[in-house]
Amino acid sequence: MLFDLLPHLVNGVTLGLLFALVALGFMLIVGLMEQINLAHGSLFALGAYLALAIVGGESAIGPYLGGTWHSLPLGVRYAAALVIAPLLVAVVGMGVEVLMRRTYDKDPLFGLLLTFGAAMVLEEAIRAVWTTRDYVLQIPSVVSGGFIFQDLIWSTYRFYAAAFAATAILLVWLFIEKTPYGAVIKAGAHDNEMVRALGINLSRLRLFVFAFGTLLAALAGIILAPIWGIRPHMGVDAVVPAFLVIVLGGVGSFWGAVVASLLCGMLIGLAGAYASEWSLLSIYLLLIAVTTVRARGLFGKKSLLEA
Amino acid sequence: MLPSPQASPYLVTPTIATLLLLLATVPFWIERAGLYPYLGVEILIWSIYALGFNLVLGYAGLPSFGHGAYFGVGAYAFGLAQFGLAPNLWLCLLAAVLAAMLAGAIVSLFVSHRRGIYFALLTIAFGQAFWFVAIKWHSVTGGEDGLLKIARLPVELGVARVDLTSNVSLYYFVFAVFALVLIGLWRLVNSPFGRTLQAIRQNETRVTFLGYSVWWVKAAVFTLSAAISGLAGALFAMAQMSAFPDVMSLHHSGYIVMMTLVGGGLVSFWGPVIGVFAFLLTRDIIGTYTTAWMFWFGLFFVTVVLFKPEGIAGLIRDVSDAAARRWSPGRVAVPAREPGE
Amino acid sequence: MALFEAEALHMRFGRRVVLERVDLRVEENVFAGIIGPNGAGKTTCFNVLTGRYRPSRGRITFAGEDITGMTPQRIAQKGLARSFQIMTLFDEYSARDNVVQALPDMRAMAWRTDYPVASDRRLSAAADEVLESVGLGARAHVRAKELPYGDRRALEIAVALASRPRILFLDEPTSGLGATGRTRLRNLLMRLKGTLTIVAIEHDLELLFSLADRVSVIQWGQVIAEGTPAELRADPWVRRSNLGKLQ
Repeated sequence: MLFDLLPHLVNGVTLGLLFALVALGFMLIVGLMEQINLAHGSLFALGAYLALAIVGGESAIGPYLGGTWHSLPLGVRYAAALVIAPLLVAVVGMGVEVLMRRTYDKDPLFGLLLTFGAAMVLEEAIRAVWTTRDYVLQIPSVVSGGFIFQDLIWSTYRFYAAAFAATAILLVWLFIEKTPYGAVIKAGAHDNEMVRALGINLSRLRLFVFAFGTLLAALAGIILAPIWGIRPHMGVDAVVPAFLVIVLGGVGSFWGAVVASLLCGMLIGLAGAYASEWSLLSIYLLLIAVTTVRARGLFGKKSLLEA
Repeated sequence: MLPSPQASPYLVTPTIATLLLLLATVPFWIERAGLYPYLGVEILIWSIYALGFNLVLGYAGLPSFGHGAYFGVGAYAFGLAQFGLAPNLWLCLLAAVLAAMLAGAIVSLFVSHRRGIYFALLTIAFGQAFWFVAIKWHSVTGGEDGLLKIARLPVELGVARVDLTSNVSLYYFVFAVFALVLIGLWRLVNSPFGRTLQAIRQNETRVTFLGYSVWWVKAAVFTLSAAISGLAGALFAMAQMSAFPDVMSLHHSGYIVMMTLVGGGLVSFWGPVIGVFAFLLTRDIIGTYTTAWMFWFGLFFVTVVLFKPEGIAGLIRDVSDAAARRWSPGRVAVPAREPGE
Repeated sequence: MALFEAEALHMRFGRRVVLERVDLRVEENVFAGIIGPNGAGKTTCFNVLTGRYRPSRGRITFAGEDITGMTPQRIAQKGLARSFQIMTLFDEYSARDNVVQALPDMRAMAWRTDYPVASDRRLSAAADEVLESVGLGARAHVRAKELPYGDRRALEIAVALASRPRILFLDEPTSGLGATGRTRLRNLLMRLKGTLTIVAIEHDLELLFSLADRVSVIQWGQVIAEGTPAELRADPWVRRSNLGKLQ
């Protein structure tokens, strides 16, 4: 019985690790700005769509890339997408940060409305270019397919995805903990006044963190695309664990964010075992429950989000 | 929103009367204007939705990003009541309003002690939950295929029976509903309750310390707003003769936010209606040139938030203020006593 | 029996103890002051007394009724009003509408949805009266955010007064005011003195000592001294500390 749950648990862990990438990027941004970027999910989706475009094939942009590109092996195109798409999204992310600047000293309602608007615009842009049909991201055969182990069918891709995500998380951790730039980001997440007092250019830091955070989201989007499918609103579900992490008060706690994301992933995975149609709903219910119960959630100190 | 000195003891203001008179004549000239009667129906239905929505956003200052849920609940309830209870117009409309009101009341239990981002997140989560149920509960809602064959039920007034299958007659029915909602909400926003909403928006803490039961006021306005959205949803289902889950999606909930704000819902009672006009006219005019008209409207919305959050109504007010100053420069500029325009 | 009494108030946030064994007694129509250095716990004390926070231990009684742990709105309904140091006005409203919102008659109508408030002469007249009493009569129609700072401070008090409270809590009313502003405020408080019970936190000791009947000194979350201004001037601790810059 329990054994049959294993593939679902593996799914859950995979999802959780990918959620963690999204949540970590989100958390770093929120920590530095005390404003929530509702467009984070759309950037996740944009990453997947851009990867789709770069890999080529049947996507809307495919025909423009030319025959030479398409004749390259899928593995090359996929690897290129994995590198280029997140970078492109990071640029868009920086654009969003620049837009947000005007709202920093206003009523927080405007920041919310702005990022909500940005999310809508991004989604509309995606719909305009790619329409609302479902797409499939082609993956190299080395990571696709399945295998049988202990009488259960396992998907190769999930293991690859989990491994990739875990590596990425580790790299992010190394960056934050072991590099001077990472230290600045960490400090900024805790106390951005201090960082400014130390002479660090806060706006450049913000720009970088935005780029970094959205890059992670895009990466997660590309990896998740073969599992979830590519639809214009795929990003909405992906940010819920990120919201949850923030509400639970996880800003500044790296592993707290990872654990919370893993729990979300497992919840979906397990829900998938019993009521697969409704599995995604579970994280929304969890978000409602947590936000309701968590009276004075965030930050310990009273934050701008506490309104 | 600044308080209105024109809140009169009479039922309607001159502005409302003029507008209603104008709208009453629409079917006579709309085709000559190059448009079509159904557009009129849509404008009125969305206006009802937006006016109801603005109670929460513009008046109480609460960012509800999942309002499509109540619109959708109203739409589905109308259809389901028609199939499951009785094909009586009044009954089905009532069922829709009650269902949406109930949904709103339940959600209000969770959101009423919040503001800002927490409020927004909760409304998004609930919106998604409702949308999810609409898509997955195939047996009741028809899932992604939607609820079809919803009929335009006739108006039974005892002595008379008005058939609503034609767009023109439907227009007049919706117009009647719109007029009632418009007048009712106008009186509401100028009443003590309306003032309290605006006070809550400006400074919720202060209102609490002044002895008001802020939680109850927020819960009440949210529920009322949901009910009105549900009414609009029911009319929509009747107009379209179907109900689909996508009206409950986060994306669609975003449309009503954008319309309301762009029109000037943050500063004017008429903002939502202006926004609806702007939205639907953009759709029909710019939409003929490109299918990406929504993208451009979204960009417009972002621009408005950044540079002129008072929206179109705010612009109109600036222009009329400037004109007033220009044409009567001798008068001392009395700080704006907003005539609710 | 005192109109307002706080007994052995104890307040902690997490592991931090902010108030310890704070006692306060305010008789009716007395002007009571609270002083103390920054971070001593005065504002927290205020927040506890006015219901914003529930004390970890202790009891608060108002007009014979135990109000410990009551919500701020219920306490306000019982006749307690407060002003805020960081001003909390309705910025988009005119001065008049700010005051109208605070009137008990308005609050009583809060659930009426079909009555044009703007044309209610009684409400505007009552509001104008309050504005007149704080010197803002001529600017009743000006939007709160367009008022100069001194007027905003006066409006802040007007809003608190409008609810016709039995006890008025003022949180650093002179904060940010220049000499003229202070004089104006002092005259206002002189006029109010004796007509209602006032509890004020203040940093301007000259001003407070000239108005208050009794003063409590809070330091490190505790009331370390209490008495009339004259008694406190003589108190060795008060004289020794930074507070003792009084003649």
